Amino acid sequence: MAMPHFTLHQPSSLEEALDLMSRHRASMKVLAGGTDLVPKMRAGAIQVEHLISLNRLPGMNRISYLDDDGLVIGCGARLSEVGANAEVRRYYPALAHACSVMATTQIRNMGTVAGNLVNAAPSADTAAPLLAYKASVVLVERGGRRQVPLEKFFEGPGKCAIEHLELLEAIRVPVPLDRSGSCYERLSARSQVDIAGVGVAGFLALDMEGKILAARLALAAVAPTPVRCAECEALLTGHEPSPDLIARAAAAAVRSARPIDDVRATAGYRRAMVHVLAKRVLETCLSQAQGGAR
Amino acid sequence: MNNNPAIIGASLPRLDARDKVTGRSIYVDDMMLPGMLYGALLRSPLPHARIKRIDVSKARALKGVKDVIVGADTPQIRYGNWRLVPQSQDELPLAVDKVRFLGDEVAAVAALDKETAERACQLIEVEYEELPGLFTVEDATAEGAAIIHDDSPGNVSLNRKITYGDLEAGFKRADYVRDDVFTVHAVSHAYMEPCSSIAAPDEGGRVTLWTSTQVPYIVQCLLAATLGLPENHVRVIKPNVGGGFGGKMELRPWEFCAAFMALRTGRPVKFTLNREQELAFGRRRHAMTIHSKVGFTKDGKITAKDFNVLLDGGAYNSMGPTATFLCGNFGAMLYRYPAYRYLGRHVYTNKPPAGAMRGFGAPQALFAAESQMNMAAAELGIDPIELRIINAMETGDEIPEVATISSCGFKESLVKVREMSGWDAKRKEKSPGRGIGVGCYSFISGGVFNWFNTKYNFATAEVRVFEDGTAHLLTMATDIGQGSDHTLRQILAAELGIGIEKIRLTAADTAVTPKADLGTWGSRVTLMSGNAVIDAARKIKEMLIPVIFSQFDLNQIHDVAFEGDRVFAKARPDKGLTFGECVYKALRGRRGEPLTAFGAYTPRNRGLVSPAFSFGAQVAEVEVDQETGLIKVQKMYTAHDCGVPINKMGVEGQLEGSIHMGLGYALMEDFVMKDGRTLNTNFLDYKIPTAQDMPPGESVEIDTYEPEGPFGAKEAGEGLVSPTAPAIAEAVHHATGYRCMDLPITPPKVLKGIGKLK
Repeated sequence: MAMPHFTLHQPSSLEEALDLMSRHRASMKVLAGGTDLVPKMRAGAIQVEHLISLNRLPGMNRISYLDDDGLVIGCGARLSEVGANAEVRRYYPALAHACSVMATTQIRNMGTVAGNLVNAAPSADTAAPLLAYKASVVLVERGGRRQVPLEKFFEGPGKCAIEHLELLEAIRVPVPLDRSGSCYERLSARSQVDIAGVGVAGFLALDMEGKILAARLALAAVAPTPVRCAECEALLTGHEPSPDLIARAAAAAVRSARPIDDVRATAGYRRAMVHVLAKRVLETCLSQAQGGAR
Repeated sequence: MNNNPAIIGASLPRLDARDKVTGRSIYVDDMMLPGMLYGALLRSPLPHARIKRIDVSKARALKGVKDVIVGADTPQIRYGNWRLVPQSQDELPLAVDKVRFLGDEVAAVAALDKETAERACQLIEVEYEELPGLFTVEDATAEGAAIIHDDSPGNVSLNRKITYGDLEAGFKRADYVRDDVFTVHAVSHAYMEPCSSIAAPDEGGRVTLWTSTQVPYIVQCLLAATLGLPENHVRVIKPNVGGGFGGKMELRPWEFCAAFMALRTGRPVKFTLNREQELAFGRRRHAMTIHSKVGFTKDGKITAKDFNVLLDGGAYNSMGPTATFLCGNFGAMLYRYPAYRYLGRHVYTNKPPAGAMRGFGAPQALFAAESQMNMAAAELGIDPIELRIINAMETGDEIPEVATISSCGFKESLVKVREMSGWDAKRKEKSPGRGIGVGCYSFISGGVFNWFNTKYNFATAEVRVFEDGTAHLLTMATDIGQGSDHTLRQILAAELGIGIEKIRLTAADTAVTPKADLGTWGSRVTLMSGNAVIDAARKIKEMLIPVIFSQFDLNQIHDVAFEGDRVFAKARPDKGLTFGECVYKALRGRRGEPLTAFGAYTPRNRGLVSPAFSFGAQVAEVEVDQETGLIKVQKMYTAHDCGVPINKMGVEGQLEGSIHMGLGYALMEDFVMKDGRTLNTNFLDYKIPTAQDMPPGESVEIDTYEPEGPFGAKEAGEGLVSPTAPAIAEAVHHATGYRCMDLPITPPKVLKGIGKLK
């Protein structure tokens, strides 16, 4: 199908954007990178008369890190910019890695982290690391702002907690703890230019005695939404890390997965791979954490 | 022999390369004609059904729609490439009465713009009576199965038998017999340029078709037949083509619909497919079930082979008959089989038709044959390369009544690849997850069998030379991206002794270029069209040689050389003229009659299969992650015999492209299908390796000379697609102990094979 006709709005302030959204509420979509939206429009899966672009909003592509405040990623920040950002690479390596290996160079140069979250694909690559980092999203509408933990954000394939007239303004990620480590691993048939068949992100922090202070593990592409693994995390928290503990935690992670058979992989293979990747991810997180770096 | 090493065997960049990589080259979909209409096809949503009723009135009434056609509006003349066997011609451009696969073309619309044409298609009402769908060769050949084509009860459209030697005695004297079943899957050609065609009405009820095709002459003949027009009323022009790999070697429904509606409306009509349509409904490589039984003596000599193949042909014959024929031929290549029996059965199923695809029956036959050699080697306790050397074909070998091998560098390839890959040491070294394996191939250099039943020569060329020292080569040879235009220019330049840049080339226009040429497939172009070019060039030389003799009053014992844009007495280079001067004088002597010559090539007395055969051996090194099952191919080593390479750079490109295609076939490409519907119809889910997946490689060309080929050349573009899958499968086995007998070698299969996944 060829592209249907639509009007492109390019507001230069947040207020203007929110006004436009409200005015055209009947047939409106917000455009950031367009890498998910435009193909859907081309395929005729979405009919829309007004596109409201975020690309001229001031400060929307910010990536800022402060030691007290953590990381803020504006809704216009491109995947490639986030993946290349020195502070993201230093403090949030799992996110940097996801942003650098997902999709293709061209898509990473246009697509945004915010868009990746709002698109709410079960396989969203940035979702798993952001869940592991306990990120929140800042949603704004004409009446005000609210902050939603990412854990509560995803509702189903393609569905998330954003209201029709809300914008995802920014993503906030807390400062990582001392003595912590994090990492993201994904499996796909091709080495590059591919969608994740299974993705696992982890975060581990140790206390002064070397016991696990905090543990978070998140999965992509193995459930209707990206998910945290509560059972796995509970098993790890407060305990002395050991190969046996990690093996048990990895096995527990599988129980948080609710994979399906589809054209990309079978549920059985996905479950097995959650186990393998969870173990690898936890091992990497642990060795980073024990190395003392944060 | 090669008298021009600056041109033959050199590594020359193609003249069209810059335009192609900078996006300047014009393809059919880039072309616009005044008043042009846009076409769209309505396809069957069911895999097998009877058409009860079609109502196009709503579509016709839509604003902007200029024409709507269904099968009943057309002449309903069946077509197919195998004109020699008319009952094999089983296709109609638009379905009449029945649809046989999900995607079968039912109606076509021409409108002012593409969106209107597509909307009109949705307004066509078709009432179907669904019939049972048959999706596997087993179901299709089962007792009481529904019949897909009325004239093929049992759904077997074709049986092909080859038999020679005493099979029973061969197995009796075998010390060791292997009996295995292999299955191989369908894959897509995935050419970069989706199919596109424009037809324009021409004066006097004639029609011109610009189309992305590998076979302009075949399209001309079959289009004329299906339109009910004289052949000469149809002109087919092939502009730049972005790859074919066998997927564009037939008349296609949209070519017919474009021409038919152009004649009806008096306006040009364009059809362009998109990737989703290509993957969902396009031609594909034959899936096969291969039952192979081979006997060996205890010292490794093959005694007999029994090769039984079921080809999953999909809904129509397409190029299936040739694939059935060739699969049996490839099953008997590479090694000396004292006794051989082949039974190939081409089976109809309710799926998109399988057609020709790079390798044409060889990738399937050789995956089975080469895997089986590797399995036998292990059981016999003989090194796999050694076992091959024991049985390897040699120059002069004969397959009774089928082929004679006039040049063969197979043993040399095996020896070379063993050495360059460090085989002996790496094979002994057992480190978990790392493995090394070998696979081999032989391939044809064009076909001998005249299935199209052409009355013309298989390949032709016309050469014109001018007093400004230039030449014009006219040929119907079809460059679809492989670089044959450049190769033919090189051959002509070498023969006439002039620079490549002096040659204007007009190719693949059926109204202008000499009749005929069967197109690009079966690796035929370099050998066949190359020979035709040489034939024409030699006739031109005969016109120029007398000029030198008269001009310089040469003794009859002299010979004349053509080199460096000069024509001169070989022993007295000072006695000569520039090429242009020589043409000028010849022109004067002929009182103005232009110097034009026709050349032709048709293989004669070259058996039933091909005038020449290429050979080669390939070694793959892999690393397997034994927890995830992911396979990384670390390095590929290739030693191959393509005769004398005309353009080394072209040969290297073909080798790299073959490895890339072989990699996809071996590891990840696969159609996911449910009830006749293809589910993965984009490149996100139909996985083709990217450049990033390409392993590094080393390659060596074995020095042979093919007496039947131009300057000693033979095939280099197709055979190499076959050894990669069996080499990788063997390397995975060496690394993990898992033996793949059903391609592709996916991570879950590896894990199941080593007991790590249920």
